[in-house]
Amino acid sequence: MKRIFLATLILMGITVFVASTAIAAMMVHPGKTVEERAINGAKAYIKKHNLKNPKQTMLLISLFKNSQPKYLRQWKKLTGVDMGSIQYGYTDIPAKIMAEAVAKTGQYDVINHFPYVIPDAVGAGTLQPLDAYMAKGKPDFTGIDSGLLAQQKYKGKTYWFILDGDHLALFLRSDIMKAAAKEYKAKFGKEPGCPDTMAEWEQMAKFFHTKKGQTRWGMKFDQPLYGAQAYRSINFSYRHFPAYVGGLLFDKNMNPTINTPNGIRAIKEFTSIVKYMPPDVQGWGTPQLYPHWGSGQAFSFMSFPSAMGYANRNPKSKISGHQLACPIPAVKGASGKMVRRAPQAAGTGYMVNAHSKHPELAYYFIQWFTGPTQGDIAIADPAGFWDPMRASNLTNKAVLDKHTEPFVKMTMKNAKNAISLLMIEGNYEYFNVLDKNMAQVMQGNISAEQAAKNVEKGWNRITEDIGRKEQIAAWRASVASGAYIDKFAPTN
Amino acid sequence: MAQATIKERKSLSAWLSQEKVFRLIPFIMVEATFLLLLAIPFMLTIYISLLKWRANRPFEQAYFHGLLNYVRVLTTEDFWWALGRTFYFAGTAVFFELVIGFLLAMLAYKQFRGRRIYITIFLIPMMVVPVVGGYNFSMIYIDSGPLNQILAPITEAMGVNPRIRWLSHPIAAQWAIIIADVWQWTSLTFLIFLSGFTALPQQLTNAARVLGASRWQIFWKVHLPLLKPAIMIAVIIRSMEALKLFDLSVLLTFGGPGTSTETIAFFLWRQVWQFNKYSFGAAASIILLFIFGALIFYGIYLLVRERSIVEEESMR
Repeated sequence: MKRIFLATLILMGITVFVASTAIAAMMVHPGKTVEERAINGAKAYIKKHNLKNPKQTMLLISLFKNSQPKYLRQWKKLTGVDMGSIQYGYTDIPAKIMAEAVAKTGQYDVINHFPYVIPDAVGAGTLQPLDAYMAKGKPDFTGIDSGLLAQQKYKGKTYWFILDGDHLALFLRSDIMKAAAKEYKAKFGKEPGCPDTMAEWEQMAKFFHTKKGQTRWGMKFDQPLYGAQAYRSINFSYRHFPAYVGGLLFDKNMNPTINTPNGIRAIKEFTSIVKYMPPDVQGWGTPQLYPHWGSGQAFSFMSFPSAMGYANRNPKSKISGHQLACPIPAVKGASGKMVRRAPQAAGTGYMVNAHSKHPELAYYFIQWFTGPTQGDIAIADPAGFWDPMRASNLTNKAVLDKHTEPFVKMTMKNAKNAISLLMIEGNYEYFNVLDKNMAQVMQGNISAEQAAKNVEKGWNRITEDIGRKEQIAAWRASVASGAYIDKFAPTN
Repeated sequence: MAQATIKERKSLSAWLSQEKVFRLIPFIMVEATFLLLLAIPFMLTIYISLLKWRANRPFEQAYFHGLLNYVRVLTTEDFWWALGRTFYFAGTAVFFELVIGFLLAMLAYKQFRGRRIYITIFLIPMMVVPVVGGYNFSMIYIDSGPLNQILAPITEAMGVNPRIRWLSHPIAAQWAIIIADVWQWTSLTFLIFLSGFTALPQQLTNAARVLGASRWQIFWKVHLPLLKPAIMIAVIIRSMEALKLFDLSVLLTFGGPGTSTETIAFFLWRQVWQFNKYSFGAAASIILLFIFGALIFYGIYLLVRERSIVEEESMR
């Protein structure tokens, strides 16, 4: 009797499993590829809802105004969905997203931005979880490294599809290294090349730093050669600082880890190299840094990957073909081990507005556009700013032609070290406290120790203001997702 | 049915045409506009300032927070720094605008050839859209830009680096904003002073001259006292505007380098639109309203007092 009961139970279990699998398979839209399933999904949605000439809108970062529209036209040809775009600078878009949370207009269906807007936008209810649509569309994220992939999720749900491996890298002047190789080797016992550590990068910056009018390595410098340049202004420092920390910014109870020997070391290293940078660097963003790099007035540049392409392709560039791309240098992190951490400082992706009239239809666009084939086409687009991020990019001729093989190899290697920026609510306020204090240290107004105390106090204040309990939950979830590579220390 | 409607309309128009009702209509409209544009938003701001609400949570989750937002604002160091910086910018800029505007008006109110052209030229900066003005100055201030090129002979002679970092040095950036503000708004003080000079009673000047007063005495004892109301108006109007300084700070430096050009308006914008702290922003706005309101009322009190003194003196 017992056996019969058990056998019946097992049989029932198998039946339920097979039936649910079959139903799930039936739910998936037909198509061999991610892109085909997205197109078919969109067509089926239009048919089911009997939509005539459906129109949707994308809130687009203006940087993509020359590259995105042609893909929107292509989407219209494929599905009949007329996707328009409204363009804003990327600093303006977070405010638009939050305004949408209050107004709930559904004016934008797709939102193009960085992942760090997700926590606040989800909290405000502006973003649509994509998991239910993903079950029907079956997107494919193979070949994307875990640090990049983890940014797609927040509190266990997917909100964002990545299409941009925009993690920090270091670029050096190969022509100058070649000219100075002998002298450098005599001094340091090794050929100049990609530095292993941040300390070594600073040592190189010091060595190559040359004043205007000097003659070195058989070259006359009519303009100064700054040993280094990097982002050190408000709104940018926070994107670079995690590379120097080499660990988590909070413990598992959301207590800041910055006011520790490791945090203070990170502040010192972050600010110390500034003396080899252009004096204006604290007021510079990309519009100043990229042309300065292209003008040949710096030996090294820690930047977004597109800096290399810019300096190679810009007709005014004096350093075209004279760049060496390096992965992010290592630091002795919180664990005491040497680690490389490349913050995903500006990687863009796509989200769906929860107030859209047709969020599922908007989803199919982002599945199609970020899919393995279509996404690679965008990454290879000469007019685009999407950086390599999938393993398939290593063998994609068009991507290699655009970005060059050494660079793609380097950036894919670097992607193993890619980490997310802070993925918790109020992150922009946390960033601002950090930026302000870094600025004070760089201006010589306060010490690194004082800055660490200030940041700790400021961050605690924000945590209390938002709600420590909620922040702890979100922080633990994002650490567990692998977004920062590092995990909590066992003693925590 | 139709007849009843016509009857109702007639009785309504008859009621409206009664004098006691008709007289009230403009009053009601003004009151309604006041309520709609001022009172309701103001009450709403006070209400929001008493809540705990960040835009990253739905409004439905907001809850009563008492005066804690006010305490937070008052204990936020950055708020006081931004306020102090704003007073510094406003004070310095308004001082230069008054001095330069006064001198230009003094020159322009006399009759000379091409006077109208000069007046028109002096007024142009005020007509430029602040965003355009800010953008133009960002070009002028570039390290290798026109301003440094013009100043180079002087700076080099003084042994100073001719590449003044107008937008990236903390102190130079503050002056860059002040200079741009002075350029744009001296036109307004010039206009106010010009109308003040034009309105000076010629008889008093003539009488002083007949009595043997020197030019300096006429200016100091006759013109300046009569111009005091105009000066007060210029100070109040410009101070009110300068305390709201935002566009130049955003366009030229975005509050940087560091926080050296972060004004109180910029601070508020950041708290609300970047950090989503709506209730904090509302509380800060109310506090600022009281601070600025007190200053403006004091200014108006001084203006009224000056006017009555001038009127009393002219009656004697």
